[in-house]
Amino acid sequence: MMTPIANLLLRSNRGKTPFEVDEEMQFHIDMLERKYSQQGMSIADAKAAALRRFGNLEVVKKQCVDISRRNSLLRRVLKTASVVIALSGLLIRILSSDLNIAHIGDTLIMIAVSGRLLLYVRGLNPWTFLPATRQTSLSVVANTPDDAART
Amino acid sequence: MANERTDLMQGTLELLILNTLARESMHGYGIVQRIHEAAEDLLKVEDGSLYPALYRMEERGLIKSEWGLSENNRRAKFYKLTRTGKRKLESERANWNRIAKAVTRILQAT
Repeated sequence: MMTPIANLLLRSNRGKTPFEVDEEMQFHIDMLERKYSQQGMSIADAKAAALRRFGNLEVVKKQCVDISRRNSLLRRVLKTASVVIALSGLLIRILSSDLNIAHIGDTLIMIAVSGRLLLYVRGLNPWTFLPATRQTSLSVVANTPDDAART
Repeated sequence: MANERTDLMQGTLELLILNTLARESMHGYGIVQRIHEAAEDLLKVEDGSLYPALYRMEERGLIKSEWGLSENNRRAKFYKLTRTGKRKLESERANWNRIAKAVTRILQAT
C-alpha cells in the first residue's frame, strides 16, 4: 500500500517517464525498419519484421517504466527526507539552549548533508547495495557455426 | 534455419553490454548491432530484452544515460559506463575468463 506522499511523488514524475521510454523504443524500431527497407523489404514487411525482431513491445515498455519510476521515486523520497532531517536539525540547533540537545541537531544536519552528498555521487545508487537477485531477461539464440555461415 | 535456443548464464547480457559500452557511449540499437557484429551472428540478443537490462544497470549505477542526437539526427538516449561500471566490467571479465577456463579444462579432461 503506497503512502499518500509516495503517491504524490510518483504522480509528479508520471508524465515524463512513459513518454521517454516510448520515444526510446520507437527509435529502435524505426532504425530496424530502416535497415530492413534498405535490404529491399516493402514498408509493411519491414515494419512487421522490425516488431518481430524487437519482441513484446508493450511488456518491455512496462518493465522499463516500472524500473524508472521505482528508481526515481526512491531518489525523490531520499532527497525529501534529507531536506526534512536537515531542517529539523537546524530548528533544534536554533531553538535549543541545552548543549546536549543542540548536539542532536548537529548530528541530524550531518546525517542529512552526508546522505545528500551520497546521492550526488554517481554510482553510489542505493540499489547498488541490494543483492542482485533480479533476473535479467536474457534471451539468446545460439546458432551453430554452420547455420551462421548459411545465413 | 535450425536454431538452438539457449539461455546463457545470468549476467552474460550485462557483461556484453558493459563490454560494448567500454569504448564509447551508444544508444540501445547501436549496442545490439555491435553485439551481433562482434558475435558474427553466432549469438542473437532479442532486441527488446536489452532495455530492461539497461534500465536495471542504470538503476544500479553501472551506466548512465543522456539524450543526444543519433547519426541520422534523431533524438536518442545514449548510455555510457560509470566508474562503477568500469570496475564491474573488469571483475566480470576476469570472472568469465576463470569460469570459461575451468569448464574447458573439465570438458577436455573427460
